[in-house]
Amino acid sequence: MSATDSQQVEAARSEWARRAAAAAALDLAHTATPPRSQAQIVWRNFKRNRFAVAGGSVVLLLYLVAIFATQIAPQNYAAFNPGQPLQPPSAAHWFGTDRQTRDIFSRVIVGSRVSLSVGFVAVALIMLIGVSLGALAGYFGGLVDNAIMRFTDIMLAIPGLFLLITAAALFAPGLRTTMVVIGLTSWMGAARLVRGEVLRVKAQDFVLAARALGAPSRWIIVRHILPNVLAVIIVEGTLWLSYAILLESALSFLGLGAQPPTPSWGGMLADGRVDMQLAWWETVFPGLAIFLTVFCFNLVGDGLRDAFDPRQRRS
Amino acid sequence: MTASTRNYIVRRILLLFPLLVGLSVVVFAMIHLAPGDPADAFVSESSVDPTVIAQIHKNLGLDKPLPVQYGIWLARVARLNFGTAYTFNQTPVTTLIGQHLLATVELQAVAFVLALLVSLPLGIVSAKRQYSLLDNLATGGAFLGLSLPDFWLALLLQLFFAVNLGWLPASTSGQDTHGIHRIPYFVMPAIVLAVPIIAIFTRFMRSSMLEVIKQDYITTARSKGLAEQRITYRHALKNAILPMVTVVGNQLPRLLGGAVIVETVFAWPGLGLLGYQSILQRDYPVILALTLLTGAFILIVNVFVDILYALLDPRIAF
Repeated sequence: MSATDSQQVEAARSEWARRAAAAAALDLAHTATPPRSQAQIVWRNFKRNRFAVAGGSVVLLLYLVAIFATQIAPQNYAAFNPGQPLQPPSAAHWFGTDRQTRDIFSRVIVGSRVSLSVGFVAVALIMLIGVSLGALAGYFGGLVDNAIMRFTDIMLAIPGLFLLITAAALFAPGLRTTMVVIGLTSWMGAARLVRGEVLRVKAQDFVLAARALGAPSRWIIVRHILPNVLAVIIVEGTLWLSYAILLESALSFLGLGAQPPTPSWGGMLADGRVDMQLAWWETVFPGLAIFLTVFCFNLVGDGLRDAFDPRQRRS
Repeated sequence: MTASTRNYIVRRILLLFPLLVGLSVVVFAMIHLAPGDPADAFVSESSVDPTVIAQIHKNLGLDKPLPVQYGIWLARVARLNFGTAYTFNQTPVTTLIGQHLLATVELQAVAFVLALLVSLPLGIVSAKRQYSLLDNLATGGAFLGLSLPDFWLALLLQLFFAVNLGWLPASTSGQDTHGIHRIPYFVMPAIVLAVPIIAIFTRFMRSSMLEVIKQDYITTARSKGLAEQRITYRHALKNAILPMVTVVGNQLPRLLGGAVIVETVFAWPGLGLLGYQSILQRDYPVILALTLLTGAFILIVNVFVDILYALLDPRIAF
């Protein structure tokens, strides 16, 4: 690139920056009395869906339980009840006790922390990796797109759980490993989704206009494309959350996730499997907790999907 | 077959080779860059003698630089020679996989057929009677099925049918029995594998069918006075079932991934159980071979599905 070329580009950029600032000021002046924002429309649609609202309420309740877990749990999750191994559910122990005489109800309550926090961090990672790669591929196209998407194809070809347990077993097992490994092996769907969405938005006129004014790529991606992609990410993110929680439980069940004495629902099911002949409650209650959590996140995700785009409703 | 379709097929097949090489690099890098020493499998905790470990590394070729290890490994893998396992009595990996392959294929095939037998009719009837009680039950059931953790479902079935009722054997594939006596062993694992797939297939079949019966040619068929049965099964179904080819192909990785859980819970002596055991023992050659072979299998199936779809649906232009 010659000196005059780069000077021209520089001039175009500064001209563009001046206009962008002016446009932003204008925008601000005009939005003093906004009509109805997209968020308001979505919220209105979401509220009409009884199932989604019910699911959302349970999800909020679950987060409250996780936050105040140690206050709610009747016993310390690691406390022993000498002489009471494998007791069936009773007034004293609602979900019974395990082989080590611990109160299963307390452990299920505290176990919610593991599932919800692992899910949260893993999805943050999925978004970070998936959105970055998808946006890069979709925006730049060509060789970048090809390289990123072929890598995605390869990662998708390895069966998800197989990839996950391989990765989990190679690092020292534990909560942090679980979060990172789920994130590192589950971003592919997000990347594909974001790429498709970027391609769609990129073809629209306002992006072309911004580019014609000389806006740099970074600005176009962050200010124009990502906000438009955000809706899709929020909706799908809820569903990734339920997926991540399922994966965490599966890993813990296989002994590759949260390690004892940390109470995790998957780990408790592994104990339940050992004592299956003697204690059904050890299998039923922790699994019910996983199922309920995943189910409610799915209800919310489905409701959000319909609320964002009623046209795409699964008729 | 038009020239453009033929071009597409050739391009799709050629693309397979860089993907396979890429897969081998990803798999190799993932396992060798991670911490954890395979030599641990050979020495007990008490005798950690550095010279012994160095000797083991030398025997296994682990002392060479990574690119060299990759080159040696790829040259052997290309001839389907995956070396010998570190554990499992140091059996050759190919033999190990051969011993476990059949069990997995049997179970997956049964689960897959079961899933299709349930989901296709259910999806079609749901679409034909949209918003009927049956449709609502099917849609709700599919939603529940997608939220049900497979390992929990497996445990619940074991608890109920094996422990409480004693109707079904709790585990193994009944490899010592023959013929009709083996059927009970398949029931629970096949159901667990099939449930999430039934959920996905039913949802998809339903929406695909709904899409098709809205189209003009169906209205035309109806206005000609054709019987509703004939319209559904001869006219609509043919087009509605086309996209299922892709969905069915896409579910293969999921099915194979599910094998790890199901085979572990039911002690089913297949590739999933082999994979789980080798991962716990850091048996690199077995892990590498399994990951690579399943990945390659799925890449090849994807190509096959794309080609099949191109041949089945001439409306698609490339």
